[in-house]
Amino acid sequence: MPKKIRRKLSDAVSGSKNFFLGIPRATRNLYKEIPHQVKSFKEWIFTFRGSLTILCIIGTILIPLITMDDYITTILISFLIFSIFAASWDLLAGFTGQTSFGHSVFFGVGAYVAAAFVKMAGLPWFFSMIIGAVVAVLVGLIVGIPCLRLKGPYLALGTMAFSLILFNLFMSGELKDILGSTEGISGLPAMSEDLIITFLYILIIMIISFVILIIIIKSNIGTIFKAIRDDESAADASGINTTKYKLIAFMISGFFAGIAGSLFSLNSRAVNPSVFLALYSFYAIVMVALGGLATISGSVLGAFVYWVILNELFKPLGMWGTVFLFFPTLISAIILVIMIRFAEQGILKPALEHLREFYDFLLGR
Amino acid sequence: MGVILEVKNLTKKFGGLTAVNDFSFEIQRGEFIGLIGPNGAGKTTVFNLISGFEKPNAGSIRFDGMDITGLKPFQIVNLGLVRTFQLVRSFHYMSVLDNVSVACLSPRGKKAAEKVGIDQYASRILSEVGLIDKARFPPVILPHGDLRRLEIGKAAGTNPQILLLDEPFSGLSYEEQEHIHALIRRLSNEGVTIFITGHVLRELMNLVPRVIAMHQGKVITDGPPQEVANHKLVLEAYLGRGGVFA
Ligand SMILES: Nc1ncnc2c1ncn2[C@@H]1O[C@H](COP(=O)(O)OP(=O)(O)OP(=O)(O)O)[C@@H](O)[C@H]1O
Ligand SMILES: [Mg+2]
Repeated sequence: MPKKIRRKLSDAVSGSKNFFLGIPRATRNLYKEIPHQVKSFKEWIFTFRGSLTILCIIGTILIPLITMDDYITTILISFLIFSIFAASWDLLAGFTGQTSFGHSVFFGVGAYVAAAFVKMAGLPWFFSMIIGAVVAVLVGLIVGIPCLRLKGPYLALGTMAFSLILFNLFMSGELKDILGSTEGISGLPAMSEDLIITFLYILIIMIISFVILIIIIKSNIGTIFKAIRDDESAADASGINTTKYKLIAFMISGFFAGIAGSLFSLNSRAVNPSVFLALYSFYAIVMVALGGLATISGSVLGAFVYWVILNELFKPLGMWGTVFLFFPTLISAIILVIMIRFAEQGILKPALEHLREFYDFLLGR
Repeated sequence: MGVILEVKNLTKKFGGLTAVNDFSFEIQRGEFIGLIGPNGAGKTTVFNLISGFEKPNAGSIRFDGMDITGLKPFQIVNLGLVRTFQLVRSFHYMSVLDNVSVACLSPRGKKAAEKVGIDQYASRILSEVGLIDKARFPPVILPHGDLRRLEIGKAAGTNPQILLLDEPFSGLSYEEQEHIHALIRRLSNEGVTIFITGHVLRELMNLVPRVIAMHQGKVITDGPPQEVANHKLVLEAYLGRGGVFA
C-alpha cells in the first residue's frame, strides 16, 4: 500500500477512535459538572424566575389532583402539549429567523407515526413517541433543504406548501392501507388507565423538553442561531456555515414539534388528516406571539392564555351556530392582529416585570 | 514571506456595466496596502469577489497557495481571509460580546479561542477594540464610531491571516478615525496582512506604504502613496471631484 494512502487511512481510524473515546470523556466531564449544576440549580430556585417556575409547576400538578376533574385535566394536557409545540416553533422562527407557516407538518407527522406504531406494531407509547419525533426530524430535513434559499414571506409560503401537500395526500386516501383514510387512525390504547398519570407523564416530558430547549438556546449553538436570524450574510462573513445551522434548527424544531404531535394523537387516542391543517401552524404562531417571540418560556404562558383562558372563555359562543365552528381561527386572527399592533413583545416580559415588583415588595426590598 | 493573495484577470459584470475589469494584483504576507478609487470605481465589488460574496465572470483568486475562486464566504473565512462591510452589519438583537463570540464560534475562531474559552477570548478582543465597557449593550444603541470598531472586532474574532477593511473610516470624526488608525496599526504589527479601501487618499496617506488606485474597474497605478497621488491618470480620475485629497 502506498505510504500516503496508509497514512490517510490511519488518520481516519485514529480520528474515529478519538471520536468514540471522546464520548465517554464528554460524559465524564458532564458527570463531573453535576455537583456544580445541582448547586446552580439550588441557587436558581431562590431567584425570582426560579421560584416562579417552581410555583407554576406545583400549581399545575395540584389543580388536577385537587379537583379530580377529568375535564380540567384534559384541558391542562392540551395546554402542556401545545406549549411544547409553540416552543418548537419559537426555536425555529423566533431564534433562528426561519419563519415557518407549515409547522403542522412536523406536528402531523409525529401524530401519525406515533399512532401507527402504537396501533399497527403494538409498540408502547413512549417508543412510538420517540419514533414519531425522529421521523419528524427527517421531515425537518426534507422541508428544510428545499427551503434553505427562501427568506421571509417566501419561506413562510414554501413551508406552508408542505402542509397543504400532506393534508391533501392524507385526505386523498392513497395511504389508507397503512395510515388510514380520511378518518385517520382511531382506537389507540390510552397512555395510562388513569388520566392523572397520563397528565403527569406529559408534564414530565414537557418539563424535560423545555429544559433541553433552554439549554440549547443558551449554548453556543443558540448564539449562532440568533446571529443567523439577525443577519445571515454577516454570520456567513463571520465564518459560520449558515446552511448547516439552519438545517440543525429545522431538525431540532421538528423533533419537539414531533413530540408534541405524538403526544397529541396518543392522548386523544386518534388522529386524522386535520392535524396537517394550517390551523395547527397558526396555533403555534399565536401562542408564541402571545407569550413573546424568542423567549421559549413565553410559549408556556402563551399556550396557557390561549388554550386555557381564551378558549374556555369563548367556548359558550360556539353553541350559537355554525359560524362559530371557525371560532379558533377567528380568535387566532384577532389575537395576532392585537398582539402585532399593541404588544409586539408579547405578554411574558411585562407580566414578569409587574410580578417582580410585587415579589420585591413582598420581600420588603 | 511570500505571496499571500494573488488576484488574476478578475472581471465582474452587472448587466451592461463592467464593475471590475481584468483586475490583477498580488499582496505579500504581512503587507499593509490600500485600495483607492472614486465612488463607483469598483472597490467594494473587488472585496465581494475576493471574499466569495459575488462570483466573478472571469479570473482567479489564490489565497495562501490555494485557489479560492467560487468558494463560499464562510469557507474563505475559515481559511483565514475575512472582510468587513462598508455599511456596518451587526447582529442587532445580541449583545456586543455575543456579536464577537459568533466569529469566535466559527471553526477557525474556535481553534484560536480553545485555550482561554470563547467568552474570555471574545472579551479580550473587545478590550483590544475598546468596547469592553459596552460588552452587554445591544449594538443598536452604539454610536457609528463604536459600530466601526465592533465590525473590526467581529472580523478579528475569526483569527484572520488577512483582513479586508472596506472604508473603515467613512462617516467618522477625526478622533474616531485616529482610534481606528491605532487599532489597525496594532493588528498590522501583530502580523495580520491588511488590505484597506478608502475613496480619498488622505485617509490612507500616513497609514499604508503601498496603494493600488482603481478607476472604472481597472488598476490605474500601484505604488507608494506619494507617487500615486501625483500620477496623471489618478489626478484625471478625481478631476472635478475636488482632487485626490478632498
Ligand atoms: N449588485 C450590483 N448590481 C448592479 N450593479 C452593481 C452592484 N454592485 C455594484 N454595482 C455597480 O458597480 C459599480 C462599482 O460599485 P462598487 O460598490 O464596487 O464601487 P466602490 O468603489 O465601492 O464605490 P464607493 O466608493 O461608493 O463605495 C458601481 O457602478 C455600482 O453601481
Ligand atoms: Mg464601496
